[in-house]
Amino acid sequence: MASSRDDFIIAIRSAFLKKSTQQKFSLLTLVFISISIIILSSLNFTAVRVTKSILNELVYRSSFIVSIPENIIKNSYKEILEYTTFFNTFKKNRAELEKFKSNYVSNEIIQYENKELKELINDFVSSSDKVLAKIIVDHDSPFLKSIIINKGSKDKIKIGTSIYDQSYLVGRVVEVNYKTSRVLLLSDLNSNVPVTIAPQNIQGIITGTGGDYGQIKYIKSGLSEKLTDKSIVYTSGTGAIFKSGVPIGTLQSFGQNSVNEYRVEFYSDFSQLKYVFAEIITKKEVIQTETNNIDGTDESKNPLDAKLKILEDEKNIIEQSNQKFLEENDNLKNQINDLNNKILNLNNEILKRNRTISQFDLDKKELDFLRLNLEYGHKCRKSFLNNKGFIVGSDEYRACVLDKGRIDG
Amino acid sequence: MANLKTRGSFTKLYTWLPILILYISVLNEFDLNYLNLKYFSFNFPFILIFFFTLKDFKQFDYILVFIAGLFNDTVVGLPLGISSLSYTLLCIATAYIRNITIRPSPIKDWFYFLFIISLINSLNYSTLSLFFSYDLILMNYLVNTFFTFLFYIIFASIFKYYLKGLNV
Repeated sequence: MASSRDDFIIAIRSAFLKKSTQQKFSLLTLVFISISIIILSSLNFTAVRVTKSILNELVYRSSFIVSIPENIIKNSYKEILEYTTFFNTFKKNRAELEKFKSNYVSNEIIQYENKELKELINDFVSSSDKVLAKIIVDHDSPFLKSIIINKGSKDKIKIGTSIYDQSYLVGRVVEVNYKTSRVLLLSDLNSNVPVTIAPQNIQGIITGTGGDYGQIKYIKSGLSEKLTDKSIVYTSGTGAIFKSGVPIGTLQSFGQNSVNEYRVEFYSDFSQLKYVFAEIITKKEVIQTETNNIDGTDESKNPLDAKLKILEDEKNIIEQSNQKFLEENDNLKNQINDLNNKILNLNNEILKRNRTISQFDLDKKELDFLRLNLEYGHKCRKSFLNNKGFIVGSDEYRACVLDKGRIDG
Repeated sequence: MANLKTRGSFTKLYTWLPILILYISVLNEFDLNYLNLKYFSFNFPFILIFFFTLKDFKQFDYILVFIAGLFNDTVVGLPLGISSLSYTLLCIATAYIRNITIRPSPIKDWFYFLFIISLINSLNYSTLSLFFSYDLILMNYLVNTFFTFLFYIIFASIFKYYLKGLNV
């Protein structure tokens, strides 16, 4: 018994402490170093932060280089797939583009109205610049959903900076290095975003699931029954972590039986991201300007100018539409004239035909009279023997012949 | 094999191949899940480290394994040192089993591997949940452990061919 315990201790000691000829450190030393690193990395010392940042920069770049062959293969495969559906996608996109163009102008007007209203309630106005960032590492870890972008503190990225795919929210920055940053995606379990669900106007929090969809949490009891399929989920701006009104996704029901459960299908496909936008926000307090001030200071001039420009754009669009309508109107008028001429011609034709028909009828009547005249003329003609008859050519004679020789008393 | 030895740099590259693959795998984080199967993932570095440290492969330096762990933490976004600790613990386990085993058996190694990775993943999960307040899906860890265990035997047979090529 004692011997077996001794063997165990010897084996353990050997495993921990013995260094082979090639090994420079014993495993026990490495365990201690690991634990020290874990403790140190959770502390916010400048030296640790700088070291960590340098390591991150190095590793992210190396990871990007190492991933190049795999990415080339993956992208080639995707491109081939895209080419096969290219034409259909093009047609769909063209139709959508037309729709979006018409929505664009009204959206801009709403934005400027919103800005003006914010000014009225003495809120802050945030001017934002969107910086295009390339995703250098997007390994889909089963545990954590994050991506690395090639913009860092050098480009004014901060912890909490919102990241967009076009205008859709994808996540926020959780770690910033000099030239790289880590973005926590909305699909990560640790992501929580305050949202509004429209059109029901329900407030909630969307959390990641680790999959490619999110789930709504912390809704006031009873309100979840009001949710419907395809409701739009966008940021509410509560807590001032995210800007309000940024679209995230739509609700999709997946519940079975009578109880409907909802999950959020993100507008953006996180596995297909190549480039994203980082929003650099600078907030400034709005000094309320006098409403009667019309001479135009710099603060009041810019939004006014911008609004005027938008209104001018809108006017141009309306004028263009009017021009289009006028041209169409002229065309229609010409067409109506043509049609009227055609109708006139046709009427003339009908009149001509009618005349021919009536002439034909007259001729037919005359023919009938002549035929009857041959047959019954002697009965109607006034003669020595027939003093009741009529003079040939008179109306009475004609009536008598047509009446087949009957002479009314 | 004699032919290989004459080609200096190629032989060197061939002998350093496992450590090179380890670094590529931690930097690339590949999990072969191109079909996007739910929960599917496996830990390739665990298989590689377990196999080569068990065979006491001379190029598989502990310090290099330790640095690979740091790289893995950086890429995945885990607190620095977690993977290094996991890899070091794996090395300790293999050193221990090497010391107590007189007659090695692949099947025994396989099940011992399952025990060790379950232990290390549990430790990982507990540390991240308790000390770093990470929200993690336990199912991911369980499936990851299961597939890592399953793939071990396949990769082990491939690695054996590699060692045969080196005449080890």
